[in-house]
Amino acid sequence: MKPRAIILRGTATNCDIETFNSFKYVGAEPELVHINQLLSGEKKVLDYSLMAFPGGFSYGDDISAGKIYAVKMSRLSADFEAFIKSKRPVIGICNGFQILVKTGFLPENKGNAQVSTLYTNDCGHFLAKWVKLKINKKSPCLFTKGLPEAIELPIAHGEGKFIVEDKKTMADLVGRELHAMTYSDNPNGSMLDIAGITNAAGTCFGLMPHPERNFFAWQNPDRPAAAREAVAAGYQFFRNAVDYLG
Amino acid sequence: MLKTMSDPLSGFTSLSDRQLAELDRTCGWSLNALELAEVRRQFKKMGRQPSRGELETIAQTWSEHCKHKTFSGPVAFKSGGKVKKYKNLFKETIVKATRTLNRKWCLSVFTDNAGIVEFGKGGKWGLAFKAETHNHPCAVEPYGGAETGVGGVIRDILGVGLGAKPVLNTDNFCFGYLDSRKKLPRNSHSPERIMRGVVEGVRDYGNRIGIPTASGGIYFDDGYLLNPLVYVGCAGLIPVDKIEKKVVPGDLIVSIGGRTGRDGIHGATFSSANIEEDTSASAVQIGHAVNEKKTLDVLMRARDLGLYNAVTDCGAGGFSSAIGELGSETGARVRLEDALLKDTRIEPWEIWVSESQERMILSVPKAKLKKLEAILEAESCEYCVLGAFPGNGRLLVTHGEEKVADLPMAFLHGGVPNFEKPASRRKVRIFSATPVRPAKTYGGILKELLAHPNVCSRHSVITQYDHEVQGGTVIKPLQGKYGDGPGDATVIWPQAATLDLHDLSGFAVTHGFNPAAGKIDPYQMALQAVDEAVRNLLCVGAEISRTAILDNFCAASPRDPEVMGDLVLAAEGCHDAAMAYGAPFISGKDSFYNQAKDADGKEYPIPLSLLISATAPVEDIRKAITMNFKEAGNPLYLAGTSCRGLGGSVYADMMVAGNNYIAPLDMKAAVRLYTALLKAIKSGCVAAAHDVSQGGLAVTLSEMAFSGGFGAEIDLSSAAKEKDLSALELLFGESPSRLVLEVVKDREAEFLKFVEGLPVPEIGFVSEEPVLEAADGGERLFKEDIGGLKARWKRELI
Amino acid sequence: MIIEIWTKEKYAKNEEAAFLGRLAHAGLDVKAARLSRLYRVDAGFSEETFSRIASELLTDNITEHCSLKPGKAGLKNAYRVEVWLKDSVTDVVGESVKEAVADVAGELPEAVRFGHAYYVQCASELKLRQAVSKTLVNEVVNKFRIEKC
Repeated sequence: MKPRAIILRGTATNCDIETFNSFKYVGAEPELVHINQLLSGEKKVLDYSLMAFPGGFSYGDDISAGKIYAVKMSRLSADFEAFIKSKRPVIGICNGFQILVKTGFLPENKGNAQVSTLYTNDCGHFLAKWVKLKINKKSPCLFTKGLPEAIELPIAHGEGKFIVEDKKTMADLVGRELHAMTYSDNPNGSMLDIAGITNAAGTCFGLMPHPERNFFAWQNPDRPAAAREAVAAGYQFFRNAVDYLG
Repeated sequence: MLKTMSDPLSGFTSLSDRQLAELDRTCGWSLNALELAEVRRQFKKMGRQPSRGELETIAQTWSEHCKHKTFSGPVAFKSGGKVKKYKNLFKETIVKATRTLNRKWCLSVFTDNAGIVEFGKGGKWGLAFKAETHNHPCAVEPYGGAETGVGGVIRDILGVGLGAKPVLNTDNFCFGYLDSRKKLPRNSHSPERIMRGVVEGVRDYGNRIGIPTASGGIYFDDGYLLNPLVYVGCAGLIPVDKIEKKVVPGDLIVSIGGRTGRDGIHGATFSSANIEEDTSASAVQIGHAVNEKKTLDVLMRARDLGLYNAVTDCGAGGFSSAIGELGSETGARVRLEDALLKDTRIEPWEIWVSESQERMILSVPKAKLKKLEAILEAESCEYCVLGAFPGNGRLLVTHGEEKVADLPMAFLHGGVPNFEKPASRRKVRIFSATPVRPAKTYGGILKELLAHPNVCSRHSVITQYDHEVQGGTVIKPLQGKYGDGPGDATVIWPQAATLDLHDLSGFAVTHGFNPAAGKIDPYQMALQAVDEAVRNLLCVGAEISRTAILDNFCAASPRDPEVMGDLVLAAEGCHDAAMAYGAPFISGKDSFYNQAKDADGKEYPIPLSLLISATAPVEDIRKAITMNFKEAGNPLYLAGTSCRGLGGSVYADMMVAGNNYIAPLDMKAAVRLYTALLKAIKSGCVAAAHDVSQGGLAVTLSEMAFSGGFGAEIDLSSAAKEKDLSALELLFGESPSRLVLEVVKDREAEFLKFVEGLPVPEIGFVSEEPVLEAADGGERLFKEDIGGLKARWKRELI
Repeated sequence: MIIEIWTKEKYAKNEEAAFLGRLAHAGLDVKAARLSRLYRVDAGFSEETFSRIASELLTDNITEHCSLKPGKAGLKNAYRVEVWLKDSVTDVVGESVKEAVADVAGELPEAVRFGHAYYVQCASELKLRQAVSKTLVNEVVNKFRIEKC
């Protein structure tokens, strides 16, 4: 049985189709579901075994990135919480990470309060470029398993500066190796160069870079003369989610 | 029972020519004397007075923006004592080339919102491509102008056939130099502010709607100080069985997306008049990308379910144009009281012509409305049913009891009068002597050229655009080892439209543009623009025998015979180049009256600006190549013959060259050369290719070197060149049809077979040492560290 | 009701520096500046509801704080520049916030408009006005006013 993946969308979720394609390629059975379909009761989160929040500009990123989507989700927070608690894999990419942070699902905390944020980049505007990243091999994150210590992915965001106000929360995050991915050359001013974080179970993961844009080697800006045919670093994130479900 | 016409302009049919002109100015229609007289004659014939709504409809439908009356009108061109007459300049040049070429893979040309060519294998998909300009709004409100420009061209792609899925946005800008010293008139913005606003507008709209902005250019010239140019383009994929649209009598008129408001009054007529100081505020809008994204999502689903018979975008002229166009055969019955409004303080005729953004009109069979409504509601997209297409050929528009317009469609779409425009060849003195050798070293000149605004890096603009959303930008605008090399063309692998990761078909998009050459020779400029575009496509390995091109002309007032003369020459150039390269035009647009009064009250026109946008298929996107050096020891080849003349070059803009000669382009030789080179590239023996354009050969070599992190040792004594070519012309001249190729060293023999008998000599090799060294036989021309060259080039433009 | 959103001072350095840079480019020497965002929510909500909208919806509590009494920047001898889109211009942010307010308050407000306030310590109001119209606002689409605070 192929695992059913819910690819959540809303107005101006933009990376839903390539995320859908990526999950399909690694053997999942993805389905695009609008938040309106969840709110109306037409679809149920708990009917799926894998969840993705794709990138984009949900609701224009007005107020702040991911905020309005997070507000819409609040009516269904019990379902989402149950989904995460049952250790089914959840990945939030870029705007999806912003949504997981604004809902308080990441960093993981008891009351699902928003304890961190992704703020305007230090440069003050949107930035799209390829960055070098370090994978934290000690992290429990299931999505980054088997990746080399250094990888490349593109970023594309205006609000990616990861900030945790509370020192204890940050110490806990780092102490438990929940910062699964860091920037080698911090592009946005994130604290401790953090690019992606996970929950303690390693099943709920949010990251600013876009693994679906470095899924195949030919998506890399540095193309050697020989045509490469292999899959690239981004592929592994999706593969891992499906493998985890067996 | 309908009352008689609302607010009839009593006595209209007996107004004098002068009174008509006055009325035109008051209402802001921008109709000329001939057209006004024709309207008066028509209503006299009908034996009644027109309503304001009818006159507005006519003004919108007949305006320059909607009809392109200049380009498709008659012209008498005077040159060297001879007069050549055109009945329809557009049809006799650009369209003629397309008709003569008659390519099977052209699926739709010049009829719909965009041109469509075949895409991929199996004949399943078409690629729609369109570019247009949004110049005047960007001069007045750069941010909103750019946003609504991008939104407008995306709607063209959404409204082509039954709707294409946009997969690429393009943007080309022309601004005055950012450090220009010229005094600006009151109320005009500095070029720096215009550029910032335009870039932010393109960024915010393109990023929010999720279409990669991944191909384009920025060009500086003080001719654009008061009239910046903003060309926006969009490409989309459409299933071939969704290209035909036909309104069926009885279909409902459904408007989806944005609401209608006063913010959109008088955009179409606005673009026909020269910018005046008191340009009305309501002509400028702010874009609403999120609304357009909803519209896009609804349309793609509804299209695939076959829920409508026709669609078009609301652009210039608003409902009046969109509904008028869809109903041109069936007629239309419109009830404006059913329109969703932003604000109720709006006149009925204003609803009819308002150009409020983000609206699309669908022709929906009654039986399918329910299903469509369900999708609209699921996507939170607003809509309203405005009436129906009756099939009686009559346009009847009402608001409650009021009649807003009641006209036969034939009058609107057939009645535009046209008159012959005089055109003459501009006199330009040509200096063709050997250019003056300046006191500076070649290395010093190269560094200055690399930092020139028309050559230097565009990374600070490109990185603000989400140029990789949809995951298909496989050859990026920024490429190479450090992700910052300036690519020749972008290659898109439209996985977000085909949903098939195993289908490796893609397409390349690029541009050709050089108004500096146009100031000297508009005919050669057109040839060179097409040549540059084809050559850029070649550089990534696209199938250039399948090149399709778009023309976008921007010019000053066509009432000036020399401006018309430039246009005639450039249009003839377009025809000849299309024929020589076998590259049909599939769509095009033009924008006139790009001139304004400067601070001293003098007319300040732009130079003739012809943007050629080009696309060609890439069979296997894995095999497309980039421009940076790949490996030390690989040999370098310079393809093409270097010709004399510095006319139109960046060098000539920067230094006193004493030479403005432009060598005529040998198109036959170019086609022979490119055909052979494409075979070589496709065989895999070429590691990198980069065209010689802005800044010349030395700039091309520098860019290839520092984008790959390698140096090169070059000896130009073997270069194919015209007799008596100076080193200055060889290094910095911009004669066309040349490119530099890096060949895989163990496959050199194979490469040489492909180019046998062609002007493709070896000029050196890639070196490990990060130094670019060029000599001409025993004479060293320059030796520069690539880090130093890159530091000059990689400026922050914004 | 106008709700004012402030970036906490320790996170505001970048936006302030960029703002000062723009004014300097327009020839205005400014000693210090503070920036805020304004939401005008037209609705008959209770004070408590407005307060909930401000803190739960419009403020990112990690980096921002909010105020229902706009105009207090803590800068002495400063001018306050308030910038809005003209009423005739569609306010895109305002429209989407309007929907979001309904998600929080359970009731759609009549209108929401989005604007900015800039608090600027400088010598001359006239020069400030010139710099503002050269860089911050475009009077084709914006309306603004300057007051001493």
